[in-house]
Amino acid sequence: MSTPEVTDGALIERVANQEREAFEELYGRYARPVLGLALRRIGDRGRAEDSVQEVFAAVWRSASSYDPARGPGGAWVYTIARNAIIDNLRRRPAPTVADPPEAVSTSPTPDEEAEASWNTWRVHRALETLPASERAVIDLAYFSGLSQSEIAEFLHVPLGTVKTRTRSGLARLADVLEGEV
Amino acid sequence: MSTVPPFDEIVDGADPERVRLRTTHDLLLSAGPPPELPPSLEAAPAQQSQVIAILPRRRYTAIAAVALAACALFGVGYAIGGRDVPNEPVRTIAMTGDSGATASIALLAADAAGNWPMSLEVSGLPPLPKGKTYSLWLTRGGKLAESCGTFAVAAGTTKVPLNAPYRLKRFDGWVIVRTGTKVPLLSTA
Repeated sequence: MSTPEVTDGALIERVANQEREAFEELYGRYARPVLGLALRRIGDRGRAEDSVQEVFAAVWRSASSYDPARGPGGAWVYTIARNAIIDNLRRRPAPTVADPPEAVSTSPTPDEEAEASWNTWRVHRALETLPASERAVIDLAYFSGLSQSEIAEFLHVPLGTVKTRTRSGLARLADVLEGEV
Repeated sequence: MSTVPPFDEIVDGADPERVRLRTTHDLLLSAGPPPELPPSLEAAPAQQSQVIAILPRRRYTAIAAVALAACALFGVGYAIGGRDVPNEPVRTIAMTGDSGATASIALLAADAAGNWPMSLEVSGLPPLPKGKTYSLWLTRGGKLAESCGTFAVAAGTTKVPLNAPYRLKRFDGWVIVRTGTKVPLLSTA
């Protein structure tokens, strides 16, 4: 990217001052990670979409409680989102079907589930930071199942360009994942 | 088509960053794709939405009365001058598939920003497991070109609002696929 991105923490501090533009920027960065987290926890798409609205209402209300000394902005948004989604689930628990008594559960433990949710959140947030050219090849390679040569054909660019963009996209994601988010 | 991108083809064996790139590669695979935002969530919500929840109950009654009056006025206006209905489709597109499923797109007039709102009505597609969706794509030269959003279906007929923020003349068809695949289930050709 040609210009350094404003940190999430700086945006949250501006949201605390009721700056609509900062709120919209934060929404652009986190709407899809929040929806992904809500879908994972709630399951039902309609309720998950409702909870996205609730999460960002909570972000707007609570931004003044953000303390940069206690951690990066991304982790704060994650905590707000997780709590709002749990509140949504408490208000209207998802219907459950009892396991047969003899069945052995293969579901992840709460700790495993929490770690998986956090990692998914971080990856989805990091994807939002990629330039469009790198985002396209990463999406096509990892989420559409296209080979490198199929991507080259699809995007009408040389195979070497696809490989370079995929590699640089991975490196940029690694930088973000190791950084603030 | 491969389902897992070959890491060794992407990152050279002698690449000094190979270990951390491998970690990122694995995280991407385990995270899966981020969900598509529906049109209703594409813009940040207005902060005023938080105020509504704390209005006293009697205020709701007043709001309901105002809304009812507005509906009545709209009805009168519609009856008098209903020829210029803004939500009238400018084009209807039919789609068919091998399985007997059908769909139609009622394309509404584009707004000033170039959004083409539409209503997709689809029948005969099987409901998918939770979290799985279908996607509507514009095609060019027989290939998926731009996504117009994702949706889920229920048994029977499903009607869903979608949007195509593109210059439609650049494309030559529409298809519906399962999200993450390229196999057309319904198409215009």
